[in-house]
Amino acid sequence: MLSGPEPIVHRRQPDKCRNRRLTNLLPPMIDSKLNRESYLKRIKAYIVRMPSLSTTLVKVMETCNDPLASANDLKRVISLDPVLTGRVLRLINSAYYSLGKPITSLTRAIIMLGVNTVKNLALSFTVLDNLNRKSSCQSFSADEFWRHSLCVGVIAKSLAALKGLAPTGQEEYFVAGLLHDLGKLPLYIQFPEEYYRVCMNVDRGQKALYQEEVRFLGVDHGAVGRIIAKKWRLGSTLVETLAHHHNAADSSDKNCEFVSTVELANQLSLHFSIGNAGDYFIDYRKMSRLRHALGVGSTMLTEIQDTVPGEIERAKFFLEVVRSG
Amino acid sequence: MDSAVEIKFWGVRGSIPSPGPETVKYGGNTVCLELRFKIKDHHRQIIIDAGSGIRNLGDVLAADHFVNGNFSTEIYLTHTHLDHILGLPFFAPIYFPGTQLKIYGPITGEDVPLKEVIGGQMSYRYFPVRQEELAANIEYIDLREGRFDLGDGITLVAKYLNHPLLALGYRIEYQDCVICTAYDTEPFYNVFSEDPADPSYDELLAQEGDLAARKENSRMEAFFHDADLLIHDGQYTAAEYDSGKKGWGHSTIEHAVETAKRAAVKRLVIFHHDPLRTDSQIDAISKRLCGGRQQEDLEIIFAREGMTLKV
Repeated sequence: MLSGPEPIVHRRQPDKCRNRRLTNLLPPMIDSKLNRESYLKRIKAYIVRMPSLSTTLVKVMETCNDPLASANDLKRVISLDPVLTGRVLRLINSAYYSLGKPITSLTRAIIMLGVNTVKNLALSFTVLDNLNRKSSCQSFSADEFWRHSLCVGVIAKSLAALKGLAPTGQEEYFVAGLLHDLGKLPLYIQFPEEYYRVCMNVDRGQKALYQEEVRFLGVDHGAVGRIIAKKWRLGSTLVETLAHHHNAADSSDKNCEFVSTVELANQLSLHFSIGNAGDYFIDYRKMSRLRHALGVGSTMLTEIQDTVPGEIERAKFFLEVVRSG
Repeated sequence: MDSAVEIKFWGVRGSIPSPGPETVKYGGNTVCLELRFKIKDHHRQIIIDAGSGIRNLGDVLAADHFVNGNFSTEIYLTHTHLDHILGLPFFAPIYFPGTQLKIYGPITGEDVPLKEVIGGQMSYRYFPVRQEELAANIEYIDLREGRFDLGDGITLVAKYLNHPLLALGYRIEYQDCVICTAYDTEPFYNVFSEDPADPSYDELLAQEGDLAARKENSRMEAFFHDADLLIHDGQYTAAEYDSGKKGWGHSTIEHAVETAKRAAVKRLVIFHHDPLRTDSQIDAISKRLCGGRQQEDLEIIFAREGMTLKV
């Protein structure tokens, strides 16, 4: 739990520093051949067929290929994969675009699309194994990225529950947390060397990852997340979450509280040191402000901190991807 | 033609063409509907689905084609399961230069474009003529849920149904007439476990699933509310459905009747007959359901190949 005097800023020590010596040998970070527009062009092309995470894919394939797998199993396994969840919501909101209000509930999406359609969609994925390659340019692993995404989803949902939101409304918070960092994947996969340098610089510096992304790539994962969410027609709530989860104040009045909740969940996940998506910077001043604005007291935080690790481990167990080492 | 729209049923069977002595009366060709709209000084034609029934329609159109020259038409596919597209390679107008054909079909989430999904059956491994060799100019257009102005005062509303593959139902409005199709579909139901003894049971999920299914069934009834004619899936009887057909994406005749009544439909056509359904069985079901007379305000008709209805 958060207690005692809090520093204004704090940078969590990275778990792995094995590449630090290599970083010092790398050439300057700015690649003059690439500008913001060329980055965006490649990112947009990549988003069209964005693959799923290798962490969840084994279980996804197993579930979808099992004719006896239940809809409950299907929903659970999909809800653990940020890319796949986004793709299912993309399909429902593309196909049913006349509904007016975008659908952000995976439960409703499965009812409407049907189990088979969702299975087919999942099976058509290629695995995002780039995150697991044995390379000197590995900013973070698929497992760590997945843990971070799931952690933010679980915390956001817990915050919504503790604020008294009805259970049916809590799923949207989970989905938003799960998807919040999707914008990092195209940056990392399409520009592994550049992104590695950005992450290593964050490792050494005192700035948040998104600020370093702008500095070196001209675009941050929030901007890329916005492109994904808009292209997938995920609706304004998720568009703004993916775009502004580092600065909820930039979101619309309608979605500000929602995005603030995810922003706080993200900061808390960094504080709890669960998972890693390249960012180590914890802004305690912002966290304090968000807690105050959202009415999140110490008791709530204790409750969250007590339950989140267990939920992550249960999900991990479900996926059966416990790996040696 | 003194009505606003005429609907001819060129194929009424589901799943697979089912010729034989036991299907002579109601027909064995798979689904194909022809809608002819009376528009001032001419008629406009819209075809729904390209099952084996479209072959006979194509032969009639080909004869007209030789007399009247070039022509254009549009086909609205409800989905791309084989029984709804297998007649297309035998649709004669695709072999004539000057034929302008627009084929609309639902997006399904696959990355394969409609042209490839439909045209893929016209490759040498399946058929002696490749799609690229066709003389007609064929344009493929993706459809999704929505309301579309087709011109000539015709409005088409598309709505996704409940089928293992995304399938569209159509509500067609012209002048004061409303014609709806709702096949291949079954009632939405809660796919999530409702049994607390099930290890994967999740109370919230069960509640949300139930709510979502109810909501979709309400949307479905609103979709064909007050229709003059509803052409609805009636592949199974309730007994057949309950003996292992749930989840196959087809309705019971009993459900079609009940839902049509609730939606204040005027005429219901039971459509997409099971390939095992014999003429005598349909006659018996018709007698049982209607008791030799029409029910209250709802007229029930069992679709028969070659039949024409006026609206």
